[in-house]
Amino acid sequence: MKSLVCLKQVPDTETQIKVKPDGTGIVTDGIKYVINPYDEFSVEEALRLKEKFKAGEVVILTVGPDRCTEAIRTALAMGADRGIHVNDESLNDADPYSIAQVLAAAASQEGYDLIFCGHRAIDDDFGEVGAMLAELLQLPQVTLVTKLEIADDTQSAVVERDVEGGKEVIEVPLPCVLTSQKGLNEPRYASLPGIMKAKKKKIDKKTAADLGITSERKLAPTEYTMPPERKAGKKYEDMEPAEAAKIVVEALRSEAKVI
Amino acid sequence: MSREFVHERDLRFLLHEVHDLGSLTAYPYFEDHDRETFDLVLNTALKMARDRLFTTFRDMDQNPPCFVDGAVRVHPMVADFMKECGDGGWISATAPYDLGGQQLPRLLISACVFVFAAANYSASVYPMLTSGAARLIESFGSEDLKRSYIPNMFEGKWQGTMALTEPQAGSSLADITTQAQETGHGYFLIKGQKIFISASDHDGVENVINLMLARIKGAPAGVKGISLFVVPKKRVREDGSLVPNDLHIAGLYHKLGYRGAPIAQLSMGENDDCRGFLVGKPHMGLQYMFQMMNETRLEVGLGAAAIASAAYHAAVRYCKERTQGRRLAAKQAGSPPVPIIEHADVKRMLLFQRAIVEGSLSLGLQCCKYSDLSKTAPESDALKFQLLLELLTPAAKTFPSEMGILSVSQGLQCLGGYGYCDEFPLEQYYRDVRIHPIHEGTTGIHGIDLLGRKVVMKDGQALDLFRRELEDAIKTAEYYPELKPYAERLDKSLERLLEVTESLIPLKHSGRTELFLADATLYLEFFGLVAIAWQWLLQGTACDKMLKTNPPQTEFNFYQGKLYTMRYFFHYELPKTEALAKRLTEADGLTTEMHVDWL
Repeated sequence: MKSLVCLKQVPDTETQIKVKPDGTGIVTDGIKYVINPYDEFSVEEALRLKEKFKAGEVVILTVGPDRCTEAIRTALAMGADRGIHVNDESLNDADPYSIAQVLAAAASQEGYDLIFCGHRAIDDDFGEVGAMLAELLQLPQVTLVTKLEIADDTQSAVVERDVEGGKEVIEVPLPCVLTSQKGLNEPRYASLPGIMKAKKKKIDKKTAADLGITSERKLAPTEYTMPPERKAGKKYEDMEPAEAAKIVVEALRSEAKVI
Repeated sequence: MSREFVHERDLRFLLHEVHDLGSLTAYPYFEDHDRETFDLVLNTALKMARDRLFTTFRDMDQNPPCFVDGAVRVHPMVADFMKECGDGGWISATAPYDLGGQQLPRLLISACVFVFAAANYSASVYPMLTSGAARLIESFGSEDLKRSYIPNMFEGKWQGTMALTEPQAGSSLADITTQAQETGHGYFLIKGQKIFISASDHDGVENVINLMLARIKGAPAGVKGISLFVVPKKRVREDGSLVPNDLHIAGLYHKLGYRGAPIAQLSMGENDDCRGFLVGKPHMGLQYMFQMMNETRLEVGLGAAAIASAAYHAAVRYCKERTQGRRLAAKQAGSPPVPIIEHADVKRMLLFQRAIVEGSLSLGLQCCKYSDLSKTAPESDALKFQLLLELLTPAAKTFPSEMGILSVSQGLQCLGGYGYCDEFPLEQYYRDVRIHPIHEGTTGIHGIDLLGRKVVMKDGQALDLFRRELEDAIKTAEYYPELKPYAERLDKSLERLLEVTESLIPLKHSGRTELFLADATLYLEFFGLVAIAWQWLLQGTACDKMLKTNPPQTEFNFYQGKLYTMRYFFHYELPKTEALAKRLTEADGLTTEMHVDWL
């Protein structure tokens, strides 16, 4: 079972994000970066498949600047076998389509039984790359996966996915693209022996040209802004509960316009 | 609740910019490592602490260990965490490769233990104790003992403990009475009672291995008749199965804080069938045990600093959010209240906490570096680092432990009434931190250890090495005009420390031992202040160096914050040495002469 795990490095959820004064992006000075949490589920699931079938390979596929090496190395310390790092200035701040193009080109050079993506990245929240990648590679895709069973003949998989209010079970032929959702598994931590081994694992560095593509950007951000600050609340005091409830409901309807 | 419990940037600053962790890779033992490895290790510790430890910090306090049907039940996270630490290689992290370790520097692993302790002190203790106990077997045990016990301890399946204290012998280990009778079958029969033994029984592991002090029948009186034994809760039969070893839990203590870890009373040999296995040579037990005690003492100091760190972060966060009152200079009726962090006195309380936390952490890490160097540097240097480590251990344990209480108290004070209530974590930190001046040698014992043994050992050689370390730091700092006044202040304090020492030593030589050591605790306090000031000067020097490189705004703010905290320490804390010097040189015997009936 050979799995390609598409992995993005994102700002830590604990990081306080600040927008640049000119609104062209976020201030990156002082940001701590981590593996996108949904991609961690992917790494863990790919490792479990390799352990279950006692064969195969887990390859980490990342697009991003130099700093992403740390994220790849962390996945290798968790147990992944090797990494591919597409590091090209033309791809900094690329849109989902450009990223999907790069991933598709790299995946085509590699070969795979399964491709994992996080169902979204917690920084830009697009949630589009997995679907675009499947389309570019002409593969079936199942999104928001919370459970995965690969058939013994490794030709298909039964997949559980989140749907509104419940679960949907789908059978899908391999190879395919799966996007991981919370609940799929509990990712392991890198072990200290794993960290030592990771140093010796290979990370292939590639550029867009190595993959034979030029970035075709479809989206360009125009402005970044912070959400407006929360306004002060309103107090309704010194009245009977029934009367207060009436006034509050009215305020929620006409002033706050939330019901 | 604030999720920040350590200052990650500060950890990296101390490890790399102040203590130069990378320099250790020049020694063969650490040569396989590099910055990338160090970063991955620290990142993993931070992640484990955030996800696994911090989330159970409160629950472990509210659901403390209980004693049911003769066994101790602990929070279910303990089993998970011990497994994680075993599988992840954390318990064996500093051990050599051939024992299954990773040969990582203690400097780095102690920073990780600090992170664990800040997230959840109780939980952090289980693997830490196991690690220390396994290292003791590694250092002095027979090949058979190593083979039989170390692998399961390193894997987190078996808990390690240190079993010293007895009902009649706490600080005075010379008075222990637990007996060991030679059987001629490769083991001793152990009989006696031990109290206050941390993690000595729990259901998070399948076995507990007590490293226990006992007296072989007929052994000389006092410390020279104490031997060290491995006394397992369950002993291993030849087929590998485990059978009870006649070691019983007589009861659990109910503690003020640090409630996630059990402290039990042990009863050995009620049925004359408790087997103990001698570690090393007979009557050398206390000397061997000092290895684990000294390591644990550093960890206790770091643990106290860690709790104070978590309390500080909770306090800062609160002070930035809580609005109350107006700036004293702009008292306009009706103007909106300001966050309390704007008030000078609140800033003072926060600076105090930061100065204690980061100064203590730096001293703890400094000692860990000496520990690494004492094991890896060429022989002549190794001895120097060993002496420095021995001299500084009482201060690295005691300063954070004593000052940590005051630091957390100031954190609680920042929250006012809320700090006193359990909606906020400060009251728990306050309870948790109180143990530290007590366990691993009380403050009084460390005072006597410092002045009575360490300062005078080898004709004062250790103190002389310490003086030279400080003089080096002073000389370097003097290059930076902004630091010069602080270098001078440290120089003055050092001079004062040496003068006080000079004035006390004749009391020892003239046989007035009681008078000589009467205020040893104050001497330790004095010594601790000077040692922390030294660490702040080192930090200030590293900051000034970096500020000259025109760093980006976030970094600039970090270094400025550090420099202000350094200045705080020198202006508000270090002057306390003047009063201490005054008292210490009086040596008038007030406490030795005070009649017990007058109290």
